[in-house]
Amino acid sequence: MNLASLLSKDRIILSLKPGKKEKVIEDLVYAIKKGTDAELIVSTLLKREELGSTGIGKGIAIPHCRSLAVDKLEIAVGRTTKPMKFNAIDKKPVSLIFLIIAPPQDPGNQYLITLGKIVQIAKVMAKKKLISKPNTPDEFITLINQVEKDLKKRN
Amino acid sequence: MSSGIVEMHLKLLFDLDNLLNDIDEPKYKKIGFKVEQEEKQSLLRTRKALLKKLPRDMADVYERLKERYQRAIAPVDNGFCFGCFQKLPTELLTQTKGMITCPNCGRILYWRKKQ
Ligand SMILES: [Zn+2]
Repeated sequence: MNLASLLSKDRIILSLKPGKKEKVIEDLVYAIKKGTDAELIVSTLLKREELGSTGIGKGIAIPHCRSLAVDKLEIAVGRTTKPMKFNAIDKKPVSLIFLIIAPPQDPGNQYLITLGKIVQIAKVMAKKKLISKPNTPDEFITLINQVEKDLKKRN
Repeated sequence: MSSGIVEMHLKLLFDLDNLLNDIDEPKYKKIGFKVEQEEKQSLLRTRKALLKKLPRDMADVYERLKERYQRAIAPVDNGFCFGCFQKLPTELLTQTKGMITCPNCGRILYWRKKQ
């Protein structure tokens, strides 16, 4: 399963308003679910953040959790208009956020595989300074596709 | 599953238990997400507090099921219990009040909202 196929245009927000970490996570969750489902997901994601920031460095954060509120892997992407505080491990502000929610049981552990893949791809995007390049969600998906292909060739 | 605040506590408890499982997975650590013991202890305290907020009998059932199956709650999918993959009796599917458990495996059943 490639990452690009798990992305959908309406869940890629390239002009996300920076703000408090909680608020930004909430905004991204709302691209996926509404109502009490969204509330549950936000609570679980914030509990995950309390264990240690998912800001992995180089301007990237990957908030993630499993939740009863979803029945398949769901991903939302946000790029903030300005870097924002995320308590990242390198203490640097964050501008690219991949948010991933997985169902409690997923055969083949697609969740951790996808999570690992996103970490790899996001790091390449940061290293090659590609984060600010895409202007539309379509261009973003194309870029992800490209980075993913390059990684596959390298491995 | 019962309504409102109790349901929310139960669902969050379940999500947190899944989180506690995942952070101990070697695969998870390999990805690069490290969780310190101290933080894990604090999450365990949160789960304890959540458990206390549930009605006693529900908390007991949950803990017993978790012991037995690791995951105490199973979603209902197309009339099937997603824990044991058995077809659920029709009369159970129309029941809406209280905590409903699978007659076959005993797991607490959860109906997903239609989107
Ligand atoms: Zn069952």
